[in-house]
Amino acid sequence: MSVPIMTPPSAPGYKRNVVIDWNNARTRAIPWLLASPLLVYMAVVYAMPVVAMLLRSLNDPSWSLDHYAALAGDAVFLKVFWITLGTSLAVTFGCVVLAYPVALALSRARSTAPLILMVILLPFWTSVLVRSYAWMVLLGRHGVINEALLALGLIDQPLKLLNTTMATQIAMIHILLPYMILPIANALRQIDPSLPRAAWGLGATPWGTFRQVIFPLSMPGVAAGMLLVFVLALGFYITPAMVGSSSDITLSMLIAQEVEQLNWGYAGTLSAVLLALALAMIGIGQLVPGVSNALRTTKS
Amino acid sequence: MAQYPVHTINRRRAIRLITAGVGAPFVIRLAGAQPALPEQANVPDILKGSGEVRIANYGGATAEAQLKAWFEPFEKATGIKVRTFPTADTAKAKAMVETGNLEWDLVNLGRGDILKLMKVGDYFESIDYSLIDDGLGKEYRFGFGVEMNTFAQVMAYRTDAFKGAVPASWGDFWDTNRFPGDRAMYGIGAGGPPEIEFALMAAGVPADKLYPLDIEKALASYDKIRKSVAKWWTTGAQPPQMLSDREIVMTTVWNGRMSALQEQGVPAAICWNQGLLKRDAWGILKGAKNKANAMKLLAYSTMPIPQARFAMLIPYGNTNEGANEYIPPQRLAMLPSAPENKKQLVFSNVEWWIENRDIVQAKFNKWLLG
Repeated sequence: MSVPIMTPPSAPGYKRNVVIDWNNARTRAIPWLLASPLLVYMAVVYAMPVVAMLLRSLNDPSWSLDHYAALAGDAVFLKVFWITLGTSLAVTFGCVVLAYPVALALSRARSTAPLILMVILLPFWTSVLVRSYAWMVLLGRHGVINEALLALGLIDQPLKLLNTTMATQIAMIHILLPYMILPIANALRQIDPSLPRAAWGLGATPWGTFRQVIFPLSMPGVAAGMLLVFVLALGFYITPAMVGSSSDITLSMLIAQEVEQLNWGYAGTLSAVLLALALAMIGIGQLVPGVSNALRTTKS
Repeated sequence: MAQYPVHTINRRRAIRLITAGVGAPFVIRLAGAQPALPEQANVPDILKGSGEVRIANYGGATAEAQLKAWFEPFEKATGIKVRTFPTADTAKAKAMVETGNLEWDLVNLGRGDILKLMKVGDYFESIDYSLIDDGLGKEYRFGFGVEMNTFAQVMAYRTDAFKGAVPASWGDFWDTNRFPGDRAMYGIGAGGPPEIEFALMAAGVPADKLYPLDIEKALASYDKIRKSVAKWWTTGAQPPQMLSDREIVMTTVWNGRMSALQEQGVPAAICWNQGLLKRDAWGILKGAKNKANAMKLLAYSTMPIPQARFAMLIPYGNTNEGANEYIPPQRLAMLPSAPENKKQLVFSNVEWWIENRDIVQAKFNKWLLG
């Protein structure tokens, strides 16, 4: 039995009301105070550079919307924009398909859950560059996959796997998979176990239970995962450069090129487009019921 | 992963950006077993002084070589302290001069970066050539900077790919009958302008008649090789990696990347003929607090012996020919500054490029995506 640590009523400083009064202006300030170091940090290292970049797109070399007007007539930008968008979408859907079964297994696992989580998170701690090189080793003309297929006599010419759009997508899916698995697993874990039990009790088949109860209830997690993966995929640079085809040119590569040519105004404009795209996706995500909640409770 | 070392001869911004924060998998090393470096026994009194000089460079292996070749002996010989920052960047240099908050005195950039900034404002001090060694080539001197090392963008190929045939020109690179197999060329990224010069030489334009570059002709020439280019590389680490993995048989590459590959025993060689000679430059920021000391270090680093030390530590060329006699012949043969290599190279015309890069880049990007 625990001894309640409490000031006796007679002692000075005793407060009858131990529930925090959130209507009190002073107590309401507490969370903000606690968060202030982080807020200051973010303002200095994140918000200020972003604002500086946005300003640059408007005032380099002089105040105008010229850079934005130039976007519409820039055939290279338009093409790269659609390539970036298309790659991100393909990777997002690839991740959903591969992540869902893993998330389901993770949410059901008891003693093996830490092990599964380890397996998911282990590659997470390796740099993107190293993982991209690993895919070069696997997919290369004289790489592991081609050598194995040749040795088994399944092919007699090495397949062109590396330097293809497919290679870009495979490698990006691999890198982004944890961002999909964790929110889905979290959503699945939060489903009240009495609901599938009730469905079963009412005569639903296991498949029917999954389709009509579990899957719909996991949607906020799926949507949250899609949002994370899509937004992260928009900014990829190294992976498409390493394993992709000549048409896998992303907006970040164009930005790097503009920066190198000292065209900071236009580089800022391209970055603003990328930022707007990410914000738009987050905005759309907020419209899906439960997504903001799923994002908030995602633990990794 | 340990089987696939990546050599960060960390000379381009692109690589620096990419390696930032992911340094762990990189094996950084300087070329080969090192013979004893020549020592600069004494320096002219005019280079001696006191106080300090703050230098920005790109970090990595190049910075390591600069430290051993120049900064350490300079400190000892002159009494001037050297502080280095591995964060050289044109944008930062520009911002420092504009805000008057100068954290560096001397900065390692390219001639193009310096000329481009001088076009929009007054960002660099003019060079006092009275301090500079006479041996420094005239072609490496300009008003607001000095080029202190060279490197070459050249052809490299697998020596086991063509049954003994040896490619000797861009015409050969374009000849897929005599030299069958996939190629790689530089595409889109932060590694400089596209290789327009190579496409033109493949189309028969003589090396001394390249500039002004004819873009339409170059793109028509590129059309002919396009199908054989398996990869348009983005970062300098890719070409040697792809050669070593037998992903390609020929590529364009920065010469510094090749010596590491050759040391590993990969059967690959450089074709110096018709390569592009590119350079790094020192610039002194306008209003630099230690302007005089910066000038002294700049002068010291272009003296013959310091130049030889640098070229022996990293396979980049010297810009002072007087250095050649201090470099062992075997080492000299690997450098773009060796007389027999240098005479085969084309001096990249930075002045033409800064005027025309934007428009050329736009046309090339469009072609590449087309």
